[in-house]
Amino acid sequence: MTRHFTWWAERALLLLISAVVLFPISWMFLTAFKRPRDAYSLSFDFTPTLQNFVTVFSSPWNLGSMVVNSAVIASTTVAIAVPCAALAAYSFSRFRVPGRKFYFFLVLSTQFIPAVVIVLPFFIMFRSLGLLDTRIALIVVNLAIVTPFVIWMIKGFIDAIPTDSEEAAMIDGASRFRVIRDIVLPMAAPGILTSAIFCFILTWNEFLFGLILTRRNAVTLPVGLVSFRTERGDLWELMSAAGVMITVPIFIMALLIQKHFTRGMTAGAIK
Amino acid sequence: MRDRSLQYLLLVPAFVIVLATTLYPLGYSLATAFRDWDLTRSRQPEGWVGLANFSRALTEPNFLNSLWVTTVFVVSSVVLTLLLSNSIALLLRRKGRMHTFTRTVLILPFAMSPALIGVSYRFMFNPEFGVISKGLAAIFPALDGVPWLASPTLSMAVLVATDVWHWTPYMTFMCLGGLASIPRETEEAARVDGASGLRIIFEIVLPQMKGVILVTAVLKTIFALKMFDQVVTLTGGGPGNSTETLAYFIFNVGFRWYDMGYASALAWILTAIMMLISAWYVRMLLSERKMATA
Repeated sequence: MTRHFTWWAERALLLLISAVVLFPISWMFLTAFKRPRDAYSLSFDFTPTLQNFVTVFSSPWNLGSMVVNSAVIASTTVAIAVPCAALAAYSFSRFRVPGRKFYFFLVLSTQFIPAVVIVLPFFIMFRSLGLLDTRIALIVVNLAIVTPFVIWMIKGFIDAIPTDSEEAAMIDGASRFRVIRDIVLPMAAPGILTSAIFCFILTWNEFLFGLILTRRNAVTLPVGLVSFRTERGDLWELMSAAGVMITVPIFIMALLIQKHFTRGMTAGAIK
Repeated sequence: MRDRSLQYLLLVPAFVIVLATTLYPLGYSLATAFRDWDLTRSRQPEGWVGLANFSRALTEPNFLNSLWVTTVFVVSSVVLTLLLSNSIALLLRRKGRMHTFTRTVLILPFAMSPALIGVSYRFMFNPEFGVISKGLAAIFPALDGVPWLASPTLSMAVLVATDVWHWTPYMTFMCLGGLASIPRETEEAARVDGASGLRIIFEIVLPQMKGVILVTAVLKTIFALKMFDQVVTLTGGGPGNSTETLAYFIFNVGFRWYDMGYASALAWILTAIMMLISAWYVRMLLSERKMATA
């Protein structure tokens, strides 16, 4: 009897948890397909429309250019941060570099620096270089946040790879470079891919830097959300449509690498 | 190539990035913290003012308010997130279809843009047509018309709710990772001896989770201290300055009033707080390790 009860109670609780997580997301998705006047009603009975998506992609909102900005900034940041971080992670994982604990702590401690501290000097610098409101500016500051984090994550993945096959290959006379290219890289690939996607998500969702360093040309998606607050009030149905555009690519990525994703989340932090 | 030089060579690209993008700005803002620099007046830093920016902070009510707001936010967000994530992790330990489904669902909030979370909570808590405020009013009629985001206490509560919603899943996965590394034998033995489920959790499982709980507590504290996006998109620091956290206050000083010297000093105060907490974290963790191996 009690056994039966706990079985059902456990499932009921899990259902409740899933509902609490899914509800705000689903509500946003629903609102994105509502006509403006339906957006202000709570009914589920409405005629779905794609008009909001048409509106946000046309003038004056021009969500398209924000999508391009976000995509270019996030993928360039990944393309620079991940290879550099992977090399450093290998070195941290496999060699006894003198003082490596200190270097590693130095890298980690950058995670404790508030972003607002980093952005102040960069704002001043980009202002004098005329780089405010450019994608380059955002890529540079995003690297600051993302690189240490990715080193940490990839090191966790490389640590988990046994060293036996590397050592065997080296005894057979393979160079360290060949070992890295032919043995370590293929084995670490899922971990590196996971870290790259993490890095992409962080950059894609980044808000503070975008808010401070962009005005018109380099505005990213999360910052663009703020522009739907107008004198006429908040345009919820348009905000939701933009929200769907921000969320869908990221959700797809996160679910694709689901298995590694949770491991990546915890890999660095536990050790 | 010899390993000896290779081991450093591999570190070079990453270190160039870290040095240029974090250590340089850190030094620059530390220097600016001791200067007078109003960006609307001058393109270059003006005179050195010693500790004036720091002493100004200590006497300014807005700064002290933001410290208090930050403390309230951090403590409530950390406590709630930890309680929830540990409980959910304990629920998710077993295998089952519903468990797998919940795990998948839990990935989503972490992947969602915090700015967007702020926006959608603002929508859902709108007193006239927000789905949560109206839903709550349908269950508790007394809550009808409560101006959630116009009340200092309630807007702080909603702000905490967005943050807990955002971070609980991530912390749950960390707790699950910790739970997976605990050997199950003691627990099984206690169960055979007829110990109740709650006793097993409190006397066997949780004590072994101490290390993981410590790590999650400190990480969550750091994340909460940094939290910025939802303040902008949910409350705008308001009503009044009741949700103006330290990070948001620094943003206002620097990028609304363009007082670079003062903003840098404030930013360094925030950094110092975070450094202190992380130093304390490393020490606690090390002593935890020592106890575990002793």
